[in-house]
Amino acid sequence: MTVLILTGEEDVTADMVVAHLNASSVPVVRLDPADLTAGAALSGEYVHGTFRGHLSSGERLVSVEAIRAVWVRRPGVPAARAAQPSAWLTQETAQALYGMLRDCGARWMNDPDAARRARYKPWQLRLAQRCGLPVPATLITTFPQAAREFAERFPDLVVKPVSGAHPQEPPRAVPTSRVAPGTDFAAVAYGPTLLQRRIAKRADVRLTAVGGTLLAARKETAADADPDQVDVRFAPPGAPWRPAEVPRAVARSVHAYLRRARLAYGAFDFAEDADGTWWFLECNQSGQFGFVEVDTGQPIARTIAEWLAGTARPGTSVAES
Amino acid sequence: MQPFALNYARPAVEREAATPYVYDAGLQLNVLLDGRIAAFDHALLRELGTTTSTAGSKTHFDD
Repeated sequence: MTVLILTGEEDVTADMVVAHLNASSVPVVRLDPADLTAGAALSGEYVHGTFRGHLSSGERLVSVEAIRAVWVRRPGVPAARAAQPSAWLTQETAQALYGMLRDCGARWMNDPDAARRARYKPWQLRLAQRCGLPVPATLITTFPQAAREFAERFPDLVVKPVSGAHPQEPPRAVPTSRVAPGTDFAAVAYGPTLLQRRIAKRADVRLTAVGGTLLAARKETAADADPDQVDVRFAPPGAPWRPAEVPRAVARSVHAYLRRARLAYGAFDFAEDADGTWWFLECNQSGQFGFVEVDTGQPIARTIAEWLAGTARPGTSVAES
Repeated sequence: MQPFALNYARPAVEREAATPYVYDAGLQLNVLLDGRIAAFDHALLRELGTTTSTAGSKTHFDD
């Protein structure tokens, strides 16, 4: 039985998992949907009430029935590297590939339907609330007056993209940013705006959930850190990530979140305040993990490999290093 | 007429250095010039930031 990994060649984070699968002699086929029709191929036959399908990538061939798990890691746009790429060909290829795989009986990390839903940040916030995770006061609005009133109630705010996506033409990034007092909110009328009470954090927390296993890491905020530097992705390197214990109540809530979201993998971001409370910020259903493992030595890649191989142990909260 | 959040946008930072490894289709892994598996070189990964949570990705918004 084979593990199918959908990702690009340049994905060195996926390599960390492939290496563990290789060491365990678990067959792996790594396929980038972008290579379909040029380096990768597919075929599926529905005859006499049965289905037989095959995928090939490079020189590897796997029957769809032999796939035990599918890891949707960083798949390229289907057929993006075809000889004559087009939006139509992408749609055709996506339908053929994912449609064929949907009912193959494999375990998914993550199920595509669950993954699509889990990307909605407003949905994440509501699910986190329902699961008992503390969520900072948040407003998503196109009403400038609602934004002004929210800023009166919560004077220390940050703004961040609702989607997590970033504008491309030209390529720009929109970090979570602090909103200065007295800011003019008129432009809120021109696009949904997510405003959130700023948590005065003493640490960022990244909790990586793999199946039932929780691996948390914590990055302390420097005592002299600029309070305007909110987004850890844009902050100077500072302190390294260190393994952290998951509070029992948080673990319970995270397990409930994963169950209700139907996710096998999730990278949760929290801001830890001065009281030690972990405030839920978001859950990236395909979040990076390599940087945490590199700093902490936590066995995230191994845990993913074990889940994909079907040899994972019962869920635990892990802080080992 | 620019949406409010874009007042906080900044140019996306392109990765400058070429990665010192290449994909080996036989191994299905990226390997360094000396044949070692790149993913095992944590110091290199830390230096390159290729496994890091980032923002501004053209193709992926889950970091």
